[in-house]
Amino acid sequence: MLAARLNLRLGGAEAVVELAERDAPKTSKLLLSLLPVEERARHAMESGREVYVVLGESVDIPEENQTIYQTVGDVLMYYKPSVFIEPGWPEYANEKPVLSWVYERDTAIMGTYGPLATNVVGKIARGLDKLQAEAPRMRREGFGTMKLSRL
Amino acid sequence: MKRTARRILLDLDGTRATATLYDEFAPKTCEAAWNILPVTGRAIHANWSGREIMLHLEGEKVLRLPQEMKVRSNFVTEGDITYFYRASQMSRGKQLAYSAQFQRELSEFAIFYGSPAGEGLSAYDPARTPYKEGVHVLNKFATLDRPIPEEFRLKCEALRGEGLKPLTVSRYSEG
Repeated sequence: MLAARLNLRLGGAEAVVELAERDAPKTSKLLLSLLPVEERARHAMESGREVYVVLGESVDIPEENQTIYQTVGDVLMYYKPSVFIEPGWPEYANEKPVLSWVYERDTAIMGTYGPLATNVVGKIARGLDKLQAEAPRMRREGFGTMKLSRL
Repeated sequence: MKRTARRILLDLDGTRATATLYDEFAPKTCEAAWNILPVTGRAIHANWSGREIMLHLEGEKVLRLPQEMKVRSNFVTEGDITYFYRASQMSRGKQLAYSAQFQRELSEFAIFYGSPAGEGLSAYDPARTPYKEGVHVLNKFATLDRPIPEEFRLKCEALRGEGLKPLTVSRYSEG
């Protein structure tokens, strides 16, 4: 079976994501149901080279195909502690569902007390080099939107 | 007679905060930092260490200082200002967001403007410890005066989405 492919756009960079439908069928199905996703892109401040978007409150991410050993090109879905996202969010907003990807090796997704297990829902199959240039550019010049849609 | 604590002024894109040097705790770092002021550059937000902005020292302002204190977990907290040095070849991955100077070696002032501070990857990464002279140096040398102006905090936070902003660190004296 050919893996479903998605288009990932960050600012002026485009890439192709292959979904991990065999290893993460429930998460892949969930992600497909959310497409297209278009939100303000954010950069991690606790985990290294990770770009992410915050998903809606109602998104319920199952625990599946998890690892704490994320690597370059991984596309992830998990709950990020809200303290790493916005400083002013209320105390009860402990965590938010996010969709993210890792663009360099010096990255480890962190929770508030240590490494955080995340679902690996896909892999950047093409265009990683474009994202590796665009994400640092946005860190310097300001972040735009990220869009994930069916190819 | 005890000397009056030395203070510094941080001007981030027109928004200001003051800090007091830890002269008794980190005398060498305080003296070295004081002697290169004023320092101007473009601050960038951290991506490992929580609510921290960094000012990379470049050219004649680069400091290569000895480790001056023991570093333990939870070493930095909100309000701390540290000097950090990392030798060349000790950066992992590409460092495209930073200047060419940073890619060779990193010498910086790190300003922890909020919480969490110093957590995340930097707190658990074995490659970043132990702190070793000439390789990794981390000295805490000042603290932001309380209360930290809310406008300053918000400006620091804004770097995450808006990118680099000009930061000047200078000597400060009231009146």
